[in-house]
Amino acid sequence: MENLVIKETKYTPKIVLDTNGIISLTGKSYPENTFEFYEPMMKWIENYFQTDSIGMTTINIEITYFNSSSSKLFFDFFDLLEENSKDNKIVINWIYDEENESAEEAGEDFIEDFEDLDINLVQK
Amino acid sequence: MAKSNSKLVVEIEDLKQVFETTTNKLIKDINRHDKIMARTDKDQMRELKKLESRLLEVEMLQQSQKELLDAFIKLIASAIDAKSKYTGGHCERVPELSIMIANAANAATHGIFKEFSAETEDEKRELSIAAWLHDCGKVTTPVYVVDKATKLETIYNRIHEIRTRFEVIHRDKTIEALNKKLNGEDVNKVDIWLESEHKKLIEEFELVANSNVGAEFMKDGVKDIIKNISSRTWTRNFDDTIGLAHEEKKRVLLENSTTPQVEQLLSDKIRHIIPREDFDYEEYERMGFKTKVPEHLYNLGELYNICVSAGTLSYEERFKIQEHVQMTLVMLEKLPFPEYLKNVPLFAGAHHETLIGTGYPRQLTIDDMPIASRIMAIADVFEALTASDRPYKEPKTLSASIKILSFMVKDQHLDKDIFQLFLSSGIYKVYAKKYLLPAQIDEVNIEQYL
Repeated sequence: MENLVIKETKYTPKIVLDTNGIISLTGKSYPENTFEFYEPMMKWIENYFQTDSIGMTTINIEITYFNSSSSKLFFDFFDLLEENSKDNKIVINWIYDEENESAEEAGEDFIEDFEDLDINLVQK
Repeated sequence: MAKSNSKLVVEIEDLKQVFETTTNKLIKDINRHDKIMARTDKDQMRELKKLESRLLEVEMLQQSQKELLDAFIKLIASAIDAKSKYTGGHCERVPELSIMIANAANAATHGIFKEFSAETEDEKRELSIAAWLHDCGKVTTPVYVVDKATKLETIYNRIHEIRTRFEVIHRDKTIEALNKKLNGEDVNKVDIWLESEHKKLIEEFELVANSNVGAEFMKDGVKDIIKNISSRTWTRNFDDTIGLAHEEKKRVLLENSTTPQVEQLLSDKIRHIIPREDFDYEEYERMGFKTKVPEHLYNLGELYNICVSAGTLSYEERFKIQEHVQMTLVMLEKLPFPEYLKNVPLFAGAHHETLIGTGYPRQLTIDDMPIASRIMAIADVFEALTASDRPYKEPKTLSASIKILSFMVKDQHLDKDIFQLFLSSGIYKVYAKKYLLPAQIDEVNIEQYL
């Protein structure tokens, strides 16, 4: 399985999917078609847990601005992570800027919704 | 039967399980949607507030920028006013008067005023800025201090120097009389001769001195007499090439400066010609300026100046004065005015044009002259006529000033409709009350002009 890097654009984040167990999303998330945009990522991760997972996976998410369909997608993303959390050690760092209340509140929502996931709110 | 019953029970249990899972998933999804919606609403509100505060900030910045611009404009205007007593508070009063007239023109609906609008803030601002800057080119007009080259140089009325020469000739005549007496001529006859010579000199000086004032038009006959008087001579025994700065020395050295030198009472000399240097005729044409450019920058000739037909300004000086509007245009056309202020240079630079192409600097006619400029033209003349703070002239009464305006209207130098509006609206009275001395304000029968 190969690493996957999706370049950052003005409205979409940079996504780095590394088989060594490091996944990161950085930037803004306003894709024209959110589910289409994230489909390669979701497929890669599904595949990763089925084949390549080395047992410890760190996910760093630092999305400064995102639309509501991105919010929805993050729930799906975390569902996928939760499904795999029994067999894998997964740590999620939800990184946000001190002044970015919106990002902070979203992180809190995720913690509330995914009791079985290890989500850290990391203030920059 | 029992077996199939129990199978059914299991199926129902399975179905219940599926139903429960699906329902739970649905409930979870709905909850998530609610959360997303609530958060999105909050985000939107936050964004809206942020935008609102940014907008407020931008508006405040715009306002302060406007204030800064206004302050700069007023700075320029007050610099011009402060530079010379000759303009006094002119730059401040012209905009006030212009705006008063423009407001009246805006309210009026007849004739030319149908097309005129000074209603919106932007339109008013455009006119106001133009009026504030209408004389900004005057910052370039030289004042003697700027050019002062020697300690004794000043704005100097050369009549004093010429009077001294009359004094010299007066004494020469006295000496001549004494010599005549020494030579044994009849004392009584010599005294009578001397008295008549002195009297003639005094009369001649009076004619020259009175001509210096420029209050009346100088007829050709008078010019001839003055030319005759000028041909009187006196003998100079002192070197007139020392005590000069290098610019003047350069010109003086072109003349014969040996002493003793027989000099004319009044003369036009090479030294009096100040050459015009580095004048950009191409740029002048490109700017659309039509006023003929005099060959020399200045001609300080004594006879030349005393023979100026009307007023006190020579041809060269008149051009120099008129140059201020050219400078207004050159300066203002360089400024990056936004769209809504794009007419500022046009408005400001046409207040010395007439309706028939005899004005300056572009010799525009009524069709090319915006109403705003025509308003400023009247304001400019009226302010100048009524001003009581100019050292070179007595202030005119209200009625005399309006009479002069009416002549200028008749000559199509000023716009008739605006002039009549100026009268019928009573603006002249309001302005007079505020800026004229009580002694200037007299009854004006405006009916005769309407």
